Amino acid sequence: MSFDRSSGNMVFQLESVRKSYSGKQVLNDVSLAIPEGVVGLLGPNGCGKSTLIKSILGLVSIDSGKGKVLGLDWPNQVRIVRDLVGYLPEDDCYIQGLQGIESIQMMARLSGLQKKEALRRSHEVADYCDLGQERYRNVETYSTGMRQKLKFAQALVHDPKWIILDEPTTGLDPAQREQFLDRIYALANEKGKSILLSTHILHDVVHTCDYVVIMAAGRIRVFDSLENLQRPSQEGLQVSLVSGSQKLCDALGAQGIGCHCKSDSELVVIGDEKNTLDHIWKTSVQQQVTVLRIEQAKNSLEQAFLEAVRSK
Amino acid sequence: MPLLDIGYRPWNGQRTPRWTRALVLAATGIHLVWKGTWLKRGMLFMSIPALVAGLFVATFEQAIDRAGPREIIRAMNRNPQSRSVAKRAGVDLSQAAQDPQSYRHFAWSYILFYLARYPQALGIIVIVGLVAPRLISYDLRSRGYLLYLSRPLTPWEYILGKAAVLYFLLFLVTALPALLIFGVGLLLSNDPTAIAQTWDIPLRILLASLVLTIPTTAVALAFSAMTQESRYAGFAWFALWVIGAVTYYSLWAVSQTSQGFYSQSDTDRFDAMNQWSNYKLFSPYETLGYLQQQIFGLAIKDPWTWTPWVLVTLVSIAGYGYAYWRVSRVLKV
Repeated sequence: MSFDRSSGNMVFQLESVRKSYSGKQVLNDVSLAIPEGVVGLLGPNGCGKSTLIKSILGLVSIDSGKGKVLGLDWPNQVRIVRDLVGYLPEDDCYIQGLQGIESIQMMARLSGLQKKEALRRSHEVADYCDLGQERYRNVETYSTGMRQKLKFAQALVHDPKWIILDEPTTGLDPAQREQFLDRIYALANEKGKSILLSTHILHDVVHTCDYVVIMAAGRIRVFDSLENLQRPSQEGLQVSLVSGSQKLCDALGAQGIGCHCKSDSELVVIGDEKNTLDHIWKTSVQQQVTVLRIEQAKNSLEQAFLEAVRSK
Repeated sequence: MPLLDIGYRPWNGQRTPRWTRALVLAATGIHLVWKGTWLKRGMLFMSIPALVAGLFVATFEQAIDRAGPREIIRAMNRNPQSRSVAKRAGVDLSQAAQDPQSYRHFAWSYILFYLARYPQALGIIVIVGLVAPRLISYDLRSRGYLLYLSRPLTPWEYILGKAAVLYFLLFLVTALPALLIFGVGLLLSNDPTAIAQTWDIPLRILLASLVLTIPTTAVALAFSAMTQESRYAGFAWFALWVIGAVTYYSLWAVSQTSQGFYSQSDTDRFDAMNQWSNYKLFSPYETLGYLQQQIFGLAIKDPWTWTPWVLVTLVSIAGYGYAYWRVSRVLKV
């Protein structure tokens, strides 16, 4: 089941937000309007991602700016906003001495659930986040991966409309990471949750996000849909081979078809599918190279990221 | 893989009012500190003096129509310390022995004051020293404050929630036993005028408990907020009381020796010890003790002084203010 996002509501709209620490401008005239869906927040270290998130939650006070978050006046109604938002902090944070389940229950109660209901809901969310019997262990004994799961459960326990995940896959092994991304995808696409995913891992963004925001030096450099960012300037096909991309590239070039090798097993053929696909098949047979996959060429998010960060 | 996985389920229940959220923090804090074995032992140990004080009140009331209380008051009159305290409370113990019922208020206040002044005040130093250092410092170390403050809590509510943990424990060891003793006294009294005579004592108990609780909590939270290492906060807490007491007694002894303290009578010596002296400002224990003495009406003959009240108020404001400042400051990225 896919969730309908045709309403086009904005999760938040910020206008001219500024924040500085000791004279250093950390958020520099940030204006941003984010629609419902999964939004990836990217940027190099120290670019202001965490400050932006903490500002939205009212954990740091801004110097100037205003906006709306989930339809509420921001920053004036930030306490109400916190009731509607689930936040998974980047920091390794826990309440020492509490069991995992007590820790989730406490967060549920801080968000307004009654004591018994909070416990019931905590177990439900702990099951969803795959905490298993570890939920009865004290949180300070948890591994990094377990703590990430615990923080995720704490972020979800009050069923927030909007979930802010700050580096959620840090410390997870590849299998756990995939499971985590699947959960994010399912929450967004099956349960209609809006999610802001702040991360350094571009793969996670490609895997889950509808939109991408790239920040650098306290400014928003790029805000666009992932689809637009990955659309290449020229139409083309990306061909994956076992090996011998240079040989195929030379042969296609001799026929007047533009292409360039990305590696020994990958090349991009310029031109639309209609005009180039037959040539690729025939030439690959002639050159005796094995084609594994042909797909529409895409710009890599990495490329878009680097361009955005390097631009002045 | 689970045999059944219901996946994520939405929740749409009724939420509690926002003002109650700080109470959750307090309840969690109490739940956490209650896991400590030493705290439970300390609390149990502190109930012993309360039982003894209760026994005194019960004995006084049960024997009031007999010779017992007269003998007790006569014994008090022979003791220079109690004679000194009675004098400053405006009570003539030699007269009191003739009509013990009319001196019930003084007798109960005297017993409850000494319970608060010595076993309870010393006990709370230990109890707070066991509990308070970790209240904020643990959150600073494990960044737990981020979890609390990402919910609808302000830094002030966070501080209030942490302080409420100490308020609760200190209420259990100070006000509650004293109120129970008062209740026992009333229940065991055969005199219907006892209520009219002693109606103000519960208010004095509560005020004396607040005077102990609010500043000590402020200072303890400030120490806890200073560091991520709870042992440093604990060390600072105990050092404050020890250094304060040593400083006071040293300065006081020097000044009194030069004024011929040892050539005075026993009663005058105790009177001098219990009177207000600005040297007491160095010692939290002495300052708070004097305030309790005023609250229980046992210092009415002394000239009224605002100095200890002002000091305690300023220390409380500074302590809570510093804890707030620290918590607000660590939120900056």
